[in-house]
Amino acid sequence: MSLNIRPVFSAMVRNPSGAVLVALEIAIAIAVLVNSVGIVAQRIEEIDRPTGIDQSSSFTILFGGLTSGFDAASAIQQDLAYLRGVPGVIDAVATEGIPLSGDGDDEAFYSQSGRQGARADASILQVDEQGLKTLGVTLVAGRNFRADEIQLLSKGHLGEEPAVAIVTQHFARALFPSGDALGKTLYDGQGNPLAIIGITHDFMGPHLSNHAYDSVMLPQIPGGYGFYNCIVRTQPGRARAIMQVAERHLAASNPQRIIFLAHTLSWFKRQQDSQNRAMALFLTAVTALILVVTCLGIFGLTTFNVSTRTKQIGTLRAVGARQRDVVAHFLLENAIVLAMGMLVGCTLALGIGYWLTTRYQVPRLNLAYLGLGVLLLGAIGQLAAWQPARKAAAVPPSVATRTI
Amino acid sequence: MRYYLRLALKSYARTPGLVALMVSAIALGIATCIVTLTVYHGMSGNPIWWKNNVLYAVTMDSWDSNPNDPFDPEHPRRAPIQLTYRDATYLYQSDIPKRKAIMAMMAAMLSGAPGEAAPIPMFTRATTGGFFSMFDVPFEYGGGWDAAADRGPEPVIVLSHRMNQRLFAGADSVGRTILWNGRRFRIVGVLKNWDPLPRFYDMTGGGFGVWSGPEDAYVPFEWAPTLESMPTNSSCWGPSPNTYEQFLTSNCVWTEMWVELPSAAARDRFQSYMDGYWAAQRKVGRFQRPLDNHLWKVSQWLKLNGAVTNDSRILLRVSFAFLAVCLINTVGILLAKFLKAASITGVRRALGANRGQIFLQHLVEVAAISLTGGALGLAFGAIGLSAVRAIYGGMTGPYGALAHFDPLGVLWALVLAAISTLAAGLYPAWVVGRLPPALYLKSR
Repeated sequence: MSLNIRPVFSAMVRNPSGAVLVALEIAIAIAVLVNSVGIVAQRIEEIDRPTGIDQSSSFTILFGGLTSGFDAASAIQQDLAYLRGVPGVIDAVATEGIPLSGDGDDEAFYSQSGRQGARADASILQVDEQGLKTLGVTLVAGRNFRADEIQLLSKGHLGEEPAVAIVTQHFARALFPSGDALGKTLYDGQGNPLAIIGITHDFMGPHLSNHAYDSVMLPQIPGGYGFYNCIVRTQPGRARAIMQVAERHLAASNPQRIIFLAHTLSWFKRQQDSQNRAMALFLTAVTALILVVTCLGIFGLTTFNVSTRTKQIGTLRAVGARQRDVVAHFLLENAIVLAMGMLVGCTLALGIGYWLTTRYQVPRLNLAYLGLGVLLLGAIGQLAAWQPARKAAAVPPSVATRTI
Repeated sequence: MRYYLRLALKSYARTPGLVALMVSAIALGIATCIVTLTVYHGMSGNPIWWKNNVLYAVTMDSWDSNPNDPFDPEHPRRAPIQLTYRDATYLYQSDIPKRKAIMAMMAAMLSGAPGEAAPIPMFTRATTGGFFSMFDVPFEYGGGWDAAADRGPEPVIVLSHRMNQRLFAGADSVGRTILWNGRRFRIVGVLKNWDPLPRFYDMTGGGFGVWSGPEDAYVPFEWAPTLESMPTNSSCWGPSPNTYEQFLTSNCVWTEMWVELPSAAARDRFQSYMDGYWAAQRKVGRFQRPLDNHLWKVSQWLKLNGAVTNDSRILLRVSFAFLAVCLINTVGILLAKFLKAASITGVRRALGANRGQIFLQHLVEVAAISLTGGALGLAFGAIGLSAVRAIYGGMTGPYGALAHFDPLGVLWALVLAAISTLAAGLYPAWVVGRLPPALYLKSR
C-alpha cells in the first residue's frame, strides 16, 4: 500500500465531529452486543436444561375437595382407577407438588439430626409406588417404595412421619458428598429420620430457579387438606387428547370435589421458561437493531466523506494513486474510527459486565464473547464502508482539473 | 415559519433516503423504549400511590431462631412476609389503626352455579371488612360487610366483577345466595373491575402469581378457621401440625395484615403496641430472633418483595442504549446533511439572513423530522406492546400483567420523544448557524 496513515489521519482531524459520533455509536454497540450475547447464551442454556421427565406426554389435574364431608382417600382411589384404565395411559399417580409447575413444597434437610451437618433444600414430592414409573424417572441405585410403605394422609391426620425416602442423585451428593448416600439417614427440620432407600437420576422438581434437581420423594398419598394432583403419563403424542377426555369425565364424576386446573407438564415448562424466552428474544432483537443502526452510521459517515472530498480524490488519482489506493484510504480511515470506538467500547463492555455481575447476579462476562464481538463488529463495520469507498475509487482523475 | 417549512421540504427532497433513515431510526428507538418503559412501569408502579404514606404492611419475625433454617435463604436476616394466625388475630384487636385488615387466599368452590353442572373453582380472599375501604376498592353494586359480620362470621360474600359477569351476566346480584364450599352465602356486594398490579397486598406470588389473585370472591376472614380451610400459601417451621387446630396455634405463617395509620403518632403507637406484644411473647418462649417488628409503606413493601425483576431493569437500560445510538446516528446524519448544504446557507447569509434565522431555519427542519419520528415511534410502540400482550397476555408472571394499558407510560413516552429529538437536533442546527458565510462563498 502506497498510502501511510498520516494523510488519512489528518483528513479525519480536519473534520472530527462525524468520526467521533460514529466511534461513540460503535462503543455503545460493542458494549451492548457483548453483554447481551452473554445473557442470551445463559438464558438459552437455562431453557435447554434437561428436565429428566417425560413432560410432553404427561399431564396433571389439580383437584380440591372443599366441602366438610369430602373423603379424599376414596376420591383419589376412584380417580386413579379411572385414569389408569383409560386406553393410552401408561400410568397415573396422586401427588402433592407438580414437577416443572412452580407449585410444590420446599423443605430443608440435614445430614445429621438436630439440624446439624450438611444442609440442603429440596422439593417434596409425595407419591406412591407408581410414582417413578409415571414420571418416567429411573433409579440409579436402591429400590422403589413398597406398597406397604405408602401412608394415606387424610383430614385430621396430616403429618404422620414417613420412614423412607427416594432422592435425586444431585441432592444425595449435596448431603453426602462422598457418594455413599444409599442406606444413609437424612433428617428433616423437625429431626425426623428418613432412610434413603433409592437414588434416581436427576429430574426437575417444581421449582426451576432454585434447587431444580433436588427432590425428595416421600411414600405418601396426599389429600390431607382436600387437595391433590393426579399426574398421568400417556403414550407419546396423546397427552392433550386424553387430558381433555379425562377432565370432562372427572369433572362430572364426583360433585364433592372440583378441578382447579388441567395442563400438560410441557405447558408448565413453557410457562416457567417464558421470562427467559422473552428476555432472550428482546435482547437479541434490540442488539440486532443497534448493529444495523451503527452500520448505517458508518455507511453515512463514509458516504459523506467521499462526497465532500471528491476534488481531493480526483487530485490523488491525478498524481498517481490507483483505484485500490483510494479504497484503502477510506477503509483505513474507517478502521481508525472502528478501533477508537472499540477501544472505548471494550472498556465500557467490561465495566458494564462487572456492574451487571455485582448488581444483578448476571454470570461473569465471558472474554471470548468480547473477542468475537470485536471481530464481528470490525468485519461488518468495514463491510458497511466498502460500498461508498468503491464509489470514491470511481472518481475520475479529471475531476481535479475542474472546479465544481 | 411557513417559509422555513418550505425550505425544509425542499431540503428533504434533495435527500429523501437520508430523511427516511433518520425518521425510522428515531421511531425505532422510541418504540423500543416505550415497550420496555411500559413493562417496567407496569411492574414497578405503585397501584395505590395516593395512600402510600398511610398504609402499612405488618411483619413480625416469628421465625425459627436456628441460623441453619432461615425463612428466606437468600436474605437470612429477613422476617417472613406473612404472620402467624395467632399474631395476626391478636394485632387485629388493636384500636390504634384507623382501618385494618387481615387476610389469606383460599381456593374454594361454588356449587349449583346457574348453567354449570359441576362445581366451579372460586379463588376467594378471606379477609375482614376493612379491606374494601382501606384499599379504596370500588363497588358496582352493594358494599362490604361490617364488624359484626366479621365476628359472626356471617355468611356474606362479595363477588368480583368477572365472577358476577360469569354467574349473573353482570346483573345486580346483591341479595341473592350462592353455595360457597357447600354453604349458602348471601351476596352483599359486587366489585367494579379491580385488579391492582403488582398485587401489593399479597406478595406471596411475587405480586403477580395465580395463587395470590385476582380473587373471584371475598368472605369474612373467620370463615377460614370455621370451615378449616387451608390457605394457598403458607410456610412452617417447628413441629408439623397434625390437625387444623394445631395448624392455627403453630408457627406457620399464612396471614397478611395491613393497617391504615393516618399520622406519625399513630404509627409510633402501633409500633410500640407491636413491640410490647413481642416482648410479652418472648418471655414465654416465642420470638427468639432479634426484634424485627416492621411497618412497611407500600413502596417499601414492593421493593422488599422484588416486584420489579432484574430482567426488566436490564431491558430498560438496553433500550435506552439503543435510543442513544439512534439519536447519535441522527445527529451525525443531520450534521453531514447541513454541512453539505453549507454553500446554500452561505448564500442565504450573504443575502442578509442572520445567525439566529439560520439556526431557526435548521431547527424547523430538524423538528419536523423529529416529530414525524416521534409520532411513528408511538405507533410502532403501540404495535410492539400489543405484540408483547398477544404473546404473553395469557401467561402467568410479570409479562402477563401487561394485559392492561398504562396511560402514565404513554405520557412518559411522549416526554421522552420530545426531549430526545430536541437533543438530537440542537447541535447540528447550532453548528450550521455559526458557519462563516464568506468561506463557503469563496471556495465553491
